[in-house]
Amino acid sequence: MLSVLANSSTLLVHTVRSILKSPPNKAMIIPYMFNIGNRSLLFLTVTLGFLGIISVYQGCMQTMKVLPDLSMAGAVFIAVMIREFGPTITALMLVTRVGSGIAAEIGTMVVTEQIEALKVTNTDPIDYLVAPRLIAFVIMMVACTAYGSLVAIACGTVLALVRFDLPPATFLSLQLTDMSDFYQGLIKTLAYGVAIPIISAESGFRAFGGSEGVGTATTRAVVNSLFAVIFLDFLVGALYRIF
Amino acid sequence: MTSDRIRNIPLLELARIIGRTFVGIAEIIGGMTLLQFRVLRAMLTLDIDYDETLRQFYKVGVKSLAVVVFTAILSGAIMVLQGEHYVRSTGATSLVGWAAGTGVLAEIGPLLIGLMFSGRVGANNTAELGSMVVTEQISALRALAIDPVKYLVVPRFLTMIVMLVLLTGLGDLFALMGGALTSHLLLQIDFRLFWQSVLDSHLLSEFYMGLCKGFAFGGAIAITSCYFGLNTKGGARGVGRAVNDSVVTSAIAIFAVNILVVVLWY
Repeated sequence: MLSVLANSSTLLVHTVRSILKSPPNKAMIIPYMFNIGNRSLLFLTVTLGFLGIISVYQGCMQTMKVLPDLSMAGAVFIAVMIREFGPTITALMLVTRVGSGIAAEIGTMVVTEQIEALKVTNTDPIDYLVAPRLIAFVIMMVACTAYGSLVAIACGTVLALVRFDLPPATFLSLQLTDMSDFYQGLIKTLAYGVAIPIISAESGFRAFGGSEGVGTATTRAVVNSLFAVIFLDFLVGALYRIF
Repeated sequence: MTSDRIRNIPLLELARIIGRTFVGIAEIIGGMTLLQFRVLRAMLTLDIDYDETLRQFYKVGVKSLAVVVFTAILSGAIMVLQGEHYVRSTGATSLVGWAAGTGVLAEIGPLLIGLMFSGRVGANNTAELGSMVVTEQISALRALAIDPVKYLVVPRFLTMIVMLVLLTGLGDLFALMGGALTSHLLLQIDFRLFWQSVLDSHLLSEFYMGLCKGFAFGGAIAITSCYFGLNTKGGARGVGRAVNDSVVTSAIAIFAVNILVVVLWY
């Protein structure tokens, strides 16, 4: 685990330096953005819709045991979604879809010696492979988080109306949400957006040993990225709390 | 030709894309259901490979222990951090245990542990089975008249369910510990106050629901990862793609099963 942290930090520093020295052009970034964002829309809709439904259902069931009225349920739900679950669950979903994809792609290239071919032609693999993916992922992460949060809130609102007879006017209240919640969500989103592609690419570069190696690299990427997301979630929350 | 002309109509292209998506989804769901039936039929005869099952217990359970424990501790801490905002504003420090406890035991605990398990064990499983398919070991098994489902899938199915239930239970304990530590360090709430409020909240039914979720998640992850592993096509790249599809489908399955368990519970 520590070696992953060390190698990923090194990769991050290299990538940032390469981006600042020679930023990749739009033609390289946009196909990745399409692959990450547009292709995941259906997946994100389904998962975050379910998440909204479950959260509202269970939250209201629990609250009804303690307090008789659910008027604050909507405000709490929206605040927690924007601050916490929107970024985190979207990030977890994107880890499974995109993180494993990046690791599988780069892992296959390592195992079929395409990375050596790139080095032979004097192309820096980090410049060519990692930098555009990093920029594309950060941009798309913000977009997907916004979309995912909206979907979850929308589905939660529908459930509250259908199951608990809470009118949307009561439910959709921004009473308990303020800008600090929004900024906390945004910082988490950016942190995840940087961490996930770097960790996945690092696991891809360490692949060795044929098809089994690609599978192992993909698994490592998913596990380490999932863990990094949860850890960053805690870290940002704790730092916000302290300051 | 008329088919060339028809191909250029955007509306028909949209219909084609929608149709292809649904047929693909139906194929996956159908394949997984068939695999589930084959597994259940193989289990009914009680002819289970005990050596393989023991090996899988070690691989599935013991080796994911560290990751699950860390995830659980962090998820407990996160729930306390989220709840403290409201606890602090209303001054109801005795409710911290209830807020963190119910969130962790009933929802976040099983969900995060399930997702971590799907990443660690599910992806590993698909990679292993996928490599076996690509290196033609599955065909070799069939040539030796060994049923791959009975030898490979049934042990993994059983061990994943059992291990995820146990890991969820253990993870719940560590999550509450993580919550206690966070509330002590960041909120200056005494350990004893935290644990007392957890115990006062009568969260046993939430704990059981969490275990049921673990049971259901384990089954879903097992069938999904084995299905995608056994249906890998195409060499090294195929294995990578199978792992990708498997983890994505496991995530969807986890959320869908989550809703099922919650609705059936209440």
